[in-house]
Amino acid sequence: MAVAIRGKARKTRARGAAGAGGTDPGAKSRRDRWANRDRTAAAGLLAPNLVLFTVFIIIPVILALALSFTSWDLVGAPQWIGLGNYRQMLADPAVPQAIETTMIFLVLGVVPTVVLGLLLALLANIQFRFVAVVRTLYFVPAVVSFAASAVLWQWIYRPGQGILDFLLYKVGITGPAWLSNTHTALPALDIISIWLSLPIAILLYLAALQRIPPQIIEAATLDGAGAFSRLRNIIWPGVRSMTILVVIVTILAFTNSSFDLVNILTQGGPINATTTLIYYIYYAAFNNLQLGYAAALSVLQLMLFAAILALLAGARRVAR
Amino acid sequence: MIAIPRRVRRTTRITVVTIVGLILAFPLIYLIFGSVMTSAQLTSFPPQFIPTSLHLGNYSLAWDYVRGRSVINSVIFTAVTVTLQWALCISAGFALAKLRFRASNKVTALFALSLFIPAVTTLVPTFIVTDKLQLVNTYPGLILPIAAQTGFGTLLFRQYIVNLPGELIDAARVDGSTWLGILRRVIIPLAAPATGAYVAISVLTAWNLYLWPLVVATKPSVEVMTETLAPLASSQYGGGIPENVAFAATALTTLPMVVAFLIAQRAFVRGLSGSGVE
Repeated sequence: MAVAIRGKARKTRARGAAGAGGTDPGAKSRRDRWANRDRTAAAGLLAPNLVLFTVFIIIPVILALALSFTSWDLVGAPQWIGLGNYRQMLADPAVPQAIETTMIFLVLGVVPTVVLGLLLALLANIQFRFVAVVRTLYFVPAVVSFAASAVLWQWIYRPGQGILDFLLYKVGITGPAWLSNTHTALPALDIISIWLSLPIAILLYLAALQRIPPQIIEAATLDGAGAFSRLRNIIWPGVRSMTILVVIVTILAFTNSSFDLVNILTQGGPINATTTLIYYIYYAAFNNLQLGYAAALSVLQLMLFAAILALLAGARRVAR
Repeated sequence: MIAIPRRVRRTTRITVVTIVGLILAFPLIYLIFGSVMTSAQLTSFPPQFIPTSLHLGNYSLAWDYVRGRSVINSVIFTAVTVTLQWALCISAGFALAKLRFRASNKVTALFALSLFIPAVTTLVPTFIVTDKLQLVNTYPGLILPIAAQTGFGTLLFRQYIVNLPGELIDAARVDGSTWLGILRRVIIPLAAPATGAYVAISVLTAWNLYLWPLVVATKPSVEVMTETLAPLASSQYGGGIPENVAFAATALTTLPMVVAFLIAQRAFVRGLSGSGVE
């Protein structure tokens, strides 16, 4: 999530306060006393947070890096093996395959979520009496967990019985065994994840659209601008920077679902068709007890993730 | 080109908007309807969508299946995690927003950076730390590592509190209030909207969390509902329970959040769109 750090405003204010009372020595010492107490109080207010944050976030990140140079089965002592895990990673054909699967999963999921999110937000950006009720229908799938949606959708997908096969049967198509077919398993997981992620995309786009004054769109329509021209010249500039945020939020959601849904519904199968990088890491760590190797894979995953986000952050700066 | 009257266009659009909304919410509506059907009605082909009778007994069978204990554990886990994390976030956010100390900006940047590390990346080492602290299969082991993910909340509160007027704080300080007193009597009441958004999103995240409980809470005494629910999704491979009971179990975990969403939609919308952080 993009965070606007308002450091500059704070500094200016602090300087302003110092300048105003700068000639009064009594005020200065009082302020020094306050500043001292500020530091102690700040430490007290931050300490509990920072202690937990250090133990369960910072130390694990450092530990992941350190463990990636060891071989460890969780029982004995970790053995230092230098770059051994990284060499194993390069030789392991499952790694590029898992990266490819993850990328396909992300592209097949994130692109439709963003496009549909914008289109549905455009559609729902209208005022009428029951608009709040109708928008609730758009937003409510956001509260469903991956576990619950997995139970629900495996039933919708059930070959020969589920609603999806019923709809296909109506138009004369025999549906595949969605979750146990190597070609359809990954897209099937994407569809579930799109369903879960769309509400937030619509929500964010609606917020951006509501900042575009309706008069501008009306004026353009009166000037004879068609729907496509309005979309390109008025709406897109208004939602361009929001699009990057939607992409980041959606990637984060799909990163989580690339473990949760896979583990619940397909366990990486059929024949590794849904073995995402995250699932492979989990498998290496908790099934094969190769914790050092799993840590090295985690480092790889973090670097890929950071590269994607850095790219998007750059794009966001350009878009603004 | 034939000009379509504005009125007709508007009515058509409202109809389309409503139909699309019903399609998006359909799986959820189907879940609720299916959870009170008989097994025969739910599994009939072609599928039926409107329950012909109310089989609320499905819910008591579902409660037994997920072992009521996991429902209670989910409630405990969610309530304690969110309360603890809220206290950590609002006090730290307050310190970063209104107190002057040298490392303020660096600490803020550290929290911001943590937002971009997926929890999955640190799963293995977090498990190791929890294991070394001998907290595996305990409530603290389930709760503390999640409560420690304070990046989002701290930044949300910092951003909200930065924009609160400084005069109230100055007045309280002149009156001799301590910082803790100011937090309690001035900041917490004024930051209520931020708390609403934060609680909505955190309750949702904690209630739906699957991965961390999966690795750290493997005993029935601590396992949460997402864990007992997940095996139902592979019932197609045999050994499951009747579909209508599976639907009821799923509805059991989903309905509390749906109801919370309907009651506090504004807070959820603000939380989901990360208002105040963006």
